[in-house]
Amino acid sequence: MDSVVGEIFHFQQQHWHLLPQRAIFWEEEKTLIVSDMHLGKATHFRKAGIAVPAGIEQEDLFRLQQLITRYLPQRIIIVGDMFHSTENNDVQYFRVWRQQFANISINLVKGNHDIMPDEVYEQLQIQVNNTLTISGIHFIHEPCEDHNGFQYTFSGHFHPAFVMQGTGKQRLRLPCFYFGPHCGILPAFGHFTGSATLDPAANDPVFVIAGKSIIRAQ
Amino acid sequence: MQQRSGGWKVIHQWLEGNEFKPFKFQEDAWKAYLQGKSGIVNAPTGFGKTFSLFLGVLIAWIDAHPKDYTRKTKNGLQLLWITPLRALAKDIARAMEAVLQELNIPWQVGIRSGDTSLAARAAQKKQMPEILLITPESLHLLLAQKEYPNLFKHLHTVVVDEWHELIGSKRGVMVELGLSRLKGLRKKQLKIWGISATIGNLDEALEVLLGPYHNDGLIIRAKLKKNIALKSVIPHEIENYPWAGHLGIKMLPQALPVIHDSQTTLIFTNTRSQSEIWYQALLKEDPMLAGALALHHGSIDMELRIWVEEALHNGILKAVVCTASLDLGVDFRPVDSVIQVGSPKGVARFLQRAGRSGHQPGAVSKIFFLPTHALELVEAAALKAAMEEELIESRMPVLLAYDVLLQYLMTLAVSDGFHGAEIWEEVRQTFCYQHITEDEWLWLLSFLTTGGEALGSYDEFRKVEREGDFFICRSRMMAMRHRLHIGTIVSDAMLKVKFMTGGYIGVIEESFISRLQPGDSFTLAGRNLEFTLIKDMTVLVRKSNSKRSIVPSYQGGRIPLSSNLGRMLRQKFNEALSGKSRDAELIALQPLFQLQETLSHIPKDNELLIEKINTKDGYHLFVYPFEGRLVHEVMAALLAYRLSLIQPITFSIAMNDYGFELLSDQPIPLTQENAKQLFTTDNLLIELQTSVNATEMARRKFRDIAVIAGLIFQGYPGKHKANRHLQSSASLLFNVFKDYDPQNLLLKQAFNEAFFYQMEEARLRETLERIAVSKIVITAPQRLTPFCFPIKVDSLRDTMTSEKLEDRIKKLITTND
Repeated sequence: MDSVVGEIFHFQQQHWHLLPQRAIFWEEEKTLIVSDMHLGKATHFRKAGIAVPAGIEQEDLFRLQQLITRYLPQRIIIVGDMFHSTENNDVQYFRVWRQQFANISINLVKGNHDIMPDEVYEQLQIQVNNTLTISGIHFIHEPCEDHNGFQYTFSGHFHPAFVMQGTGKQRLRLPCFYFGPHCGILPAFGHFTGSATLDPAANDPVFVIAGKSIIRAQ
Repeated sequence: MQQRSGGWKVIHQWLEGNEFKPFKFQEDAWKAYLQGKSGIVNAPTGFGKTFSLFLGVLIAWIDAHPKDYTRKTKNGLQLLWITPLRALAKDIARAMEAVLQELNIPWQVGIRSGDTSLAARAAQKKQMPEILLITPESLHLLLAQKEYPNLFKHLHTVVVDEWHELIGSKRGVMVELGLSRLKGLRKKQLKIWGISATIGNLDEALEVLLGPYHNDGLIIRAKLKKNIALKSVIPHEIENYPWAGHLGIKMLPQALPVIHDSQTTLIFTNTRSQSEIWYQALLKEDPMLAGALALHHGSIDMELRIWVEEALHNGILKAVVCTASLDLGVDFRPVDSVIQVGSPKGVARFLQRAGRSGHQPGAVSKIFFLPTHALELVEAAALKAAMEEELIESRMPVLLAYDVLLQYLMTLAVSDGFHGAEIWEEVRQTFCYQHITEDEWLWLLSFLTTGGEALGSYDEFRKVEREGDFFICRSRMMAMRHRLHIGTIVSDAMLKVKFMTGGYIGVIEESFISRLQPGDSFTLAGRNLEFTLIKDMTVLVRKSNSKRSIVPSYQGGRIPLSSNLGRMLRQKFNEALSGKSRDAELIALQPLFQLQETLSHIPKDNELLIEKINTKDGYHLFVYPFEGRLVHEVMAALLAYRLSLIQPITFSIAMNDYGFELLSDQPIPLTQENAKQLFTTDNLLIELQTSVNATEMARRKFRDIAVIAGLIFQGYPGKHKANRHLQSSASLLFNVFKDYDPQNLLLKQAFNEAFFYQMEEARLRETLERIAVSKIVITAPQRLTPFCFPIKVDSLRDTMTSEKLEDRIKKLITTND
């Protein structure tokens, strides 16, 4: 983990640690931000007889655990699509995992996949909201096109990837963090998720995840 | 003939009464069949290969029931006739029924395919017809029914028609597995026969059909030769004929006289899009063809295709533009000419297409070769020579297809369930799985029962239940889903296309439609259509008057050159250079060769040509081994890898059947001094494994594997994809398997398919050995040459790099600034 290096992005008068583990650590608020974890997805597949490997969510949660022990956040914000679908055994696994960090609050900004009954989230000590605003920074699952009155907005949903092209017909496609004029988009945290290609304006900052490091692409 | 049995006499009388005289191979086949043997009948189409086995079965039946064969009904299934094409089944059934009626044998002939109605299926279940014509997929569907062994209680003969079409594919593996089960059910009482056109490895084809341990199989060859007349249509002005391209529309005016002078012409194109374009262009060029010209390809509505086939029979069509969809199948007697547009890429395919004309025994098959770019004319000359020398390609059987085996085991699990030990014995005796290990078998069983390695109590995997050595699927939902998706033909998701006012036109790839905006025009089934909207998985369109429309490009249009044709091609280039060739094609190409010689060089038989050219795209390196696309793909990766050891460098790679290109943003460090070393066979295997982007190649193979093994549920045209939360792309699945379950056999299969089938290591080694004793000629032309142009314009490219990911990104960022 130590060889993994993030990039500290000074933006909107705040320090954002963009991490190659597909998360952001917000220094001023001691908050870890992730999006689109899709926990339980592989298990849903397996339950339907589709033998994708078991243990994907365990690995995803282990990665989150490593981030927690390294950055010691007081709060985790999940910008939507935390669990993939209805309740399954992965919820039980998460309950056990959650007990290690009982003192950290978890805020879920509701996404289109977050469809479990409220009680389930309550039992897991997860606060669920449709949107969330902390120190003027707004969080919502689906990216907004226009200015919405807040200082800045973070979102997910899109699972963004960025394509770079050069001479000799070279081409690379990598997951990325995107910072639009009003709204930023986080990469999907879960490993069993796909990605969609982003077509950003020329001046919008984009940081790609290149293996174990973060590189500003534009 | 020694035994003039009763049955034999009846059949002979009938033949004489119809003034048929059996061919020797037919009599040989009857004799062998009556002796209880299995084997393969090798005969060209149009010579009664169906009768060689069907009549044998009847002779045996009459012999067994000399007194009451005209009265016995409800005898149960006697003969199972497996055919790769549904369309073929109908015609064969018709022919069989006619014979049965004339012989007064009250047998039923049934057809079982995806088109068979529910009522017909139910009737068959109650009382099986004596003869059932079936596709490999439908055979497996029968095995997926409860109490399926009852259906085969009386079965004694299985015929696999067009075996040469099945053997090189996973459908062939389905046949192998189906046969293994039938053999298991019927113990020693089953006779298995194949019917095959000539292929390079007919002996092996017999092994695959009967299993590697068979001892009573034989091959009966009809020593009949089809007369084929090949004529190239040579462009009037070769100097102005395009150097690259694949449509050949410029040659259309020269195709018209062929159509006019023939009764009926089949125009074969290599892709569906090409056939659409040709259809439109022909109508524009000669409006008189309207009504007498039709289009036939795999995306066109089935009913329309059947209509076209009937119309071909009846001789009311002047010409049909088609794709491989008409490669196989029944005889269209009115067809007397075939036009092949663009290279057919192989001798066997070309012969097959040529054979579509002049179908009567003894008639001459006329085929016209129409090049789509200038150099393709050399291929025509090569084809001609290969045909004369009967250099026909082999069809390599598929080995250790774990995906098909998983599907098959699930098929057995959803019907009556299966006993592990029994099926293991049957499976091991097939050609495909003769080398499967016990560990692999156990892995497959655990993949179905526990979903591979699971993490104890949190796992919820459910599919097949295990009770001791007995395996069964008790979930009705899963069984239903499995039955819906038996088969090995994997296609892009297809959507129905309908007019707003109703009226079905055909189907189209979802990936094509998703790129269109409402209002855009596209072409399907020869019509110009305006895309309006997608609703309920159906594309709604209206007629378009737009002059410009997009022609869908379909996948699967790229067939590599076979090695036989590649060898002939090099020989022809050699002849062309000597100036002594008498081939009309090569003489016509002289101006082009002269330009190539002036700008660069024409390689002789003992030379390898390399061209270094700089353009605004970067530094190009073109190499011409003339070995076919597949070998070039691997060779290009190998060369790129070896060059990248000299300095950090990134290449984009393109290739065609003649050569390949490495393109870089920096000068390529290949010189006269190091060239030989760069093509050495030293460390070939190791460097191959590191150089070829095996992961990317395997990823491409994995898509089909994942679908066949039941990891991806495809959905069906016109049906909603149920369970959206269970959708995932093959690429994503590939990634998670690679990261979390690298020992997975399906993953291993993907790499195997990429390495062994695609890489053709032996052929590559041969090529490198040839280069080792050749002279390497490096030229630096000032502009693009006739040889390199078709490669350069190819848009499908691979990448090979030795630069660090971070460095590449930084470089890309600077160039874009």
